[in-house]
Amino acid sequence: MEIIVCLKQVPDTEAEIRPTPDNTEINYEGIKFVMNVYDEYAVEEALQIKERVGEGTVTIVTLGPERAVESIRTALAMGADKAVHLDDPAFGGGDAYSTAKALAKAIEGMSYDIIFCGKQAIDDDLAQGGNILGEFLNLPSITGIVKFDLSEDKKKATVQRQIEGGIEVLEVSLPAVFTATKGLNEPRYPSLPGIMKAKKKELKPIKLADLGLSEEEVGKKGAQIQVLKFSLPPVRQAGTIVGGDTPEEKAENLAKLLREEAKVI
Amino acid sequence: MAGIWVYAEHRDGTIRKVTFEILGEAKKLAEQKGEELCAVLVGADVEGMASKLGAYGAERVYCVEAESLSGYTTGGFTKALSDLVQQEKPSILLLGATANGKDLSARVAGRLKVGLATDCTGIAVDDAGTLQARRPMFAGKVYAEVSFSDVTPQMASIRPNVLLALEPDETRKPEVIKITPDVKPEDIRIAVKDIMKTGGEKPDLTEAEIIVSGGRGMKGPENYHILEELADVLSGVVGASRAAVDAGWRPQSDQVGQSGKVVTPNLYIAAGISGSIQHLAGMGTSKVIVAINKDPEAPIFKKADYGVVDDLFKVVPPLTEQVKKLKAE
Amino acid sequence: MLPAREILWNAGDVRVVVYILAAIPILIFAYTLYERIRLWRIGGQERRLDQLGARVRSLITVALGHTRTLRYRYPGIMHLFIFWGFAILFLGTLTIFVQEDITLPIWGITFLHGDFYLFYSLILDLMGLLAIIGVLMALTRRYIWRPAMLDNKADDAITLALLLAILVTGFVVEGARLAAQQPPWGRWSPVGWVSASLFFSEATSHGVKTIHKVFWWVHLGLAFTFIGYITYSRLLHIISSALSIFFRNLNPPAALRPIEDMEEAETFGAGKLEDFTWVDLLQLDACTRCGRCQDNCPATFTEKPLNPKKVIQDLKLLFQEKGKRVIADMRVWGVKGEKASASSSQERAMIGEAILEDEIWSCTTCGACIDHCPVFIEPYPKLLEMRRYLTLMESRFPPEVQLAFRNMENNSNPWGIGASTRGDWAKELEVRTLAEDADAEFLLYVGCAGSFDDLNKRVSEAMVRILRAAGVNFGILGREEGCCGDSARRLGNEYLFQIMAQQNIEVMKGYNVKKIITLCPHGYNALKNEYPLFGGEFEVYHYTEILADLIAQGRIKFSKELNLEVAYHDSCYLGRHNHIYDPPRKILRTLPGVRLVEMERSREKGFCCGAGGGRMWMEEHLGTRINHARIEDVVKCNPQLVGTACPFCYTMLVDGIKEKELEDRYRARDIAELVREAMG
Repeated sequence: MEIIVCLKQVPDTEAEIRPTPDNTEINYEGIKFVMNVYDEYAVEEALQIKERVGEGTVTIVTLGPERAVESIRTALAMGADKAVHLDDPAFGGGDAYSTAKALAKAIEGMSYDIIFCGKQAIDDDLAQGGNILGEFLNLPSITGIVKFDLSEDKKKATVQRQIEGGIEVLEVSLPAVFTATKGLNEPRYPSLPGIMKAKKKELKPIKLADLGLSEEEVGKKGAQIQVLKFSLPPVRQAGTIVGGDTPEEKAENLAKLLREEAKVI
Repeated sequence: MAGIWVYAEHRDGTIRKVTFEILGEAKKLAEQKGEELCAVLVGADVEGMASKLGAYGAERVYCVEAESLSGYTTGGFTKALSDLVQQEKPSILLLGATANGKDLSARVAGRLKVGLATDCTGIAVDDAGTLQARRPMFAGKVYAEVSFSDVTPQMASIRPNVLLALEPDETRKPEVIKITPDVKPEDIRIAVKDIMKTGGEKPDLTEAEIIVSGGRGMKGPENYHILEELADVLSGVVGASRAAVDAGWRPQSDQVGQSGKVVTPNLYIAAGISGSIQHLAGMGTSKVIVAINKDPEAPIFKKADYGVVDDLFKVVPPLTEQVKKLKAE
Repeated sequence: MLPAREILWNAGDVRVVVYILAAIPILIFAYTLYERIRLWRIGGQERRLDQLGARVRSLITVALGHTRTLRYRYPGIMHLFIFWGFAILFLGTLTIFVQEDITLPIWGITFLHGDFYLFYSLILDLMGLLAIIGVLMALTRRYIWRPAMLDNKADDAITLALLLAILVTGFVVEGARLAAQQPPWGRWSPVGWVSASLFFSEATSHGVKTIHKVFWWVHLGLAFTFIGYITYSRLLHIISSALSIFFRNLNPPAALRPIEDMEEAETFGAGKLEDFTWVDLLQLDACTRCGRCQDNCPATFTEKPLNPKKVIQDLKLLFQEKGKRVIADMRVWGVKGEKASASSSQERAMIGEAILEDEIWSCTTCGACIDHCPVFIEPYPKLLEMRRYLTLMESRFPPEVQLAFRNMENNSNPWGIGASTRGDWAKELEVRTLAEDADAEFLLYVGCAGSFDDLNKRVSEAMVRILRAAGVNFGILGREEGCCGDSARRLGNEYLFQIMAQQNIEVMKGYNVKKIITLCPHGYNALKNEYPLFGGEFEVYHYTEILADLIAQGRIKFSKELNLEVAYHDSCYLGRHNHIYDPPRKILRTLPGVRLVEMERSREKGFCCGAGGGRMWMEEHLGTRINHARIEDVVKCNPQLVGTACPFCYTMLVDGIKEKELEDRYRARDIAELVREAMG
């Protein structure tokens, strides 16, 4: 069973995100980068499938700058077998479209039964990569799965996909692309021997030239959307203490505020 | 002839609200660009819903009907929608940022090789008529103004509950165009085996739009019914603090906080929760936070948009009554 | 006639027989002891032959002087009587051996006569009496009072009966001899004299001699049984406990042993017995089940599955099971212990079977088990070695622990609040960071709680104001500060701890930091006792030490009467682990209007708040809550306020008071806040 996991490194959820003074970029100075949380579910599921089947290879595919190696190593420490790293300045600044293009090109030549991605990267929050990758590789794709079952003959998968107000049960022939979301599993914490072993696992860097794509097709130049300007959301107003002489009055005032000011009910 | 298109998502024979919200905003864009506002319905039997789209502003409605489209599948709907788009060449295609809306939009964008902005909270067109979108990134820590390449259609999915729908006008009758798509089984590739509705039950805490949580101040499991009643009238769900779960008053699955679930509802009401740092970590990103606690020093008040300093047992029941009243209005 | 005694008198010339008989138990004892030592050595390396002077001193004070044993008055005296009674009796017997088999045959010298003999008789008699009293005290306690800390096994009864029988037969023999010989100095053996007059006043000379002969042999047989029985029974502690005391840990008690060479090591922590060190295994044999550890363990007290005595005993049982196989192999094949142990596959698992994971995770590392052990056995560090195994090798821990690890990794604090906001609490106070002013005399190491927890941010703020008022030149690291790593380390994640320690040391050295004030006792312990092994040598003070000093120097002036009765709650990492008992109390006593009272369990007996050992970040599902138990202590003492000097204790006490709905009666405050308040 050959499983590919697409992995992205993103700022930690607690990191303070601010634009640069000219508001055209994000100031990443001093920010802690981690493996995208949804990609952790993807890695974990790939490992669990491999463990259940008893054979196979889990390959990590990452597009990102040099620092992304740290997250790749984390995935290898969790138990992934090897990794390829699309590391070329030309890949930078892309959108889901141009990123998926490069990833698809890299994956094309590899063998795979299953491709996992995270539901979305928690930095740009685009939630597109898995489907566009599926499109480029001409594979079916299923987004936001919370359960994955492999058929007896390993040719099909039955998955559960979370939608509003329900769960879809879907069956698909492999190979296919799946994007993982919370609920699929509990990602493991790498063991120390795992961390040590990961340092020796294969990590293959891939440059633009290796893919046979032109600079215009990838990264910022190949992107279909572009951020013109970043801005910070309005600062949260200091809390109001709801007035009233009696608890009933306070309750009444609160209900009004929630309705008219906060507009949440 | 270009046009601004809105994909009309429907479930159980009803068009989802976000569609109307998008139509409302897209109407302005269409007027600005001088283009037609169109809606697209995809399904097995959708024509009956077309007039409603007209009432909300669509001038033309494409009804893409085929038996194979009776339930949503990524492959089937992508084929149906993108074929039509390639044929009709709209300038802008908008969808709701729902689970299926996001799924479909991404696959369609990939097929059409166009740009897509996800989960937008605002859309506009510039003087050149190019779409511009405003969207949160990093879970809302920053917002981005997004522009598109000139490959059309320019696509965006729109976050529900953000834009305003027009007042429906039943007299507006849209032009209805029926399309028979060319969707083959090999386009679908995925078999829907079952759809397990969880709508009858409460949504999961992580999905809930409104959460009413109780902590140590609830004093015992027998008092939680007052929160359940409030949650019911708000169509929300009940959560609990670690203290309440530790005490065995509520199940582990109800726990909000760092060692429980991290939630981001629109409204989070914390009753009798002092706001330990663990708890705050789990619900701090809620849109609106209400704290009800008799201790004015409770840290939760620092994070709350609205604070009520009083005995929760005296505040929550009348609050439930007030919400009922407001909802009835 | 010179007072003396005819050796072997009535028994006849049975010397050769006696020596042959003696050889048997002595050989058994020697060989089985050798096997035990071999067994201990299946454990890993540990250097315990440094500081020989200190080791000999502990042997004298603790083993001979019973300083630790006497902390429990009754059993302490009881053991002291038995120990010294038998020790002197043994020396007495040895004296005879020396005279009869060495000095007399070689040089023709005897010394057991005259005044020395009288003194000798008297002392031995009294020691025998003392030992009898001791044994009777033991029997009373063990079988009549039956305190909860004791569990009874057949071995206990056999051992006590054997001791008593040896002593009683000894006095019977002596009484019979005195009755038969009627020496004029007979009263110098008072117990024997009483025994003579009680039992033999009516008997005939022949009868007395017969009885004497019979009991003489019985006494001898019992004594030899005793020797042969040592290695098979709790009597082994005569050797093993002495060794345990001698080889005790002389490092700061809460400085954990670092895992060295992490890159190369293949296993981490203890997943099986051989992963422990030889000292750990020796300690298993040194335990006499006295129950003091369990009597002071907060987990046991709150009905959690953990009982330190049981842990040691369960490990000992496993060790014995393994030992049997290892020894059997050794006897048959003469193979080395470690090879034999590797071959035994049907062995019970140490983690999961001998020791349950819930036991391993229930420990708060308060250190009471070590501190109360009369022979320096270290139960909780063994649990931590097992945690290391679970965490580093198996990644097996409660889910909350994983979250805490992730948070420490990503944001260098267990709450997982953005690392960039670490210095935000000090913004309004305009506290200088070392980046702004690297010349500050002291680094105020705030810690995670003081930086992120609202309750404890108040303490940080109070501290800043106090230090400023006292004119102390200090700075903070702000967002450059990192978590000290205490929780990670005590949750078994040595890897994460070492990374965090190294980062902190690097930053501190970068600013040429010399002196550090910590707010949190856990940070204090890590920085002071653990960082030096990773190259971080700083002068580290807990803030209570600094404040006590500043007050003594008159640099802090008080203007406000607090009018409060305050009980001080000892933080384990401040008190027990670092012996800072007095500075916080000194501070409290100087505050105007503060009356310091003590809870029953205070200072060395101080009771944990429940948050140590990483438990702060874990759910407390099992048993009752430790902080509630502590609040019950507060209620018994009934002060108006509980003073703390630790952010974890502070949080746990505030929560406990709230949960028990005692907010109207008690408050908890950090001492720094009280100082600040009294400054007006």
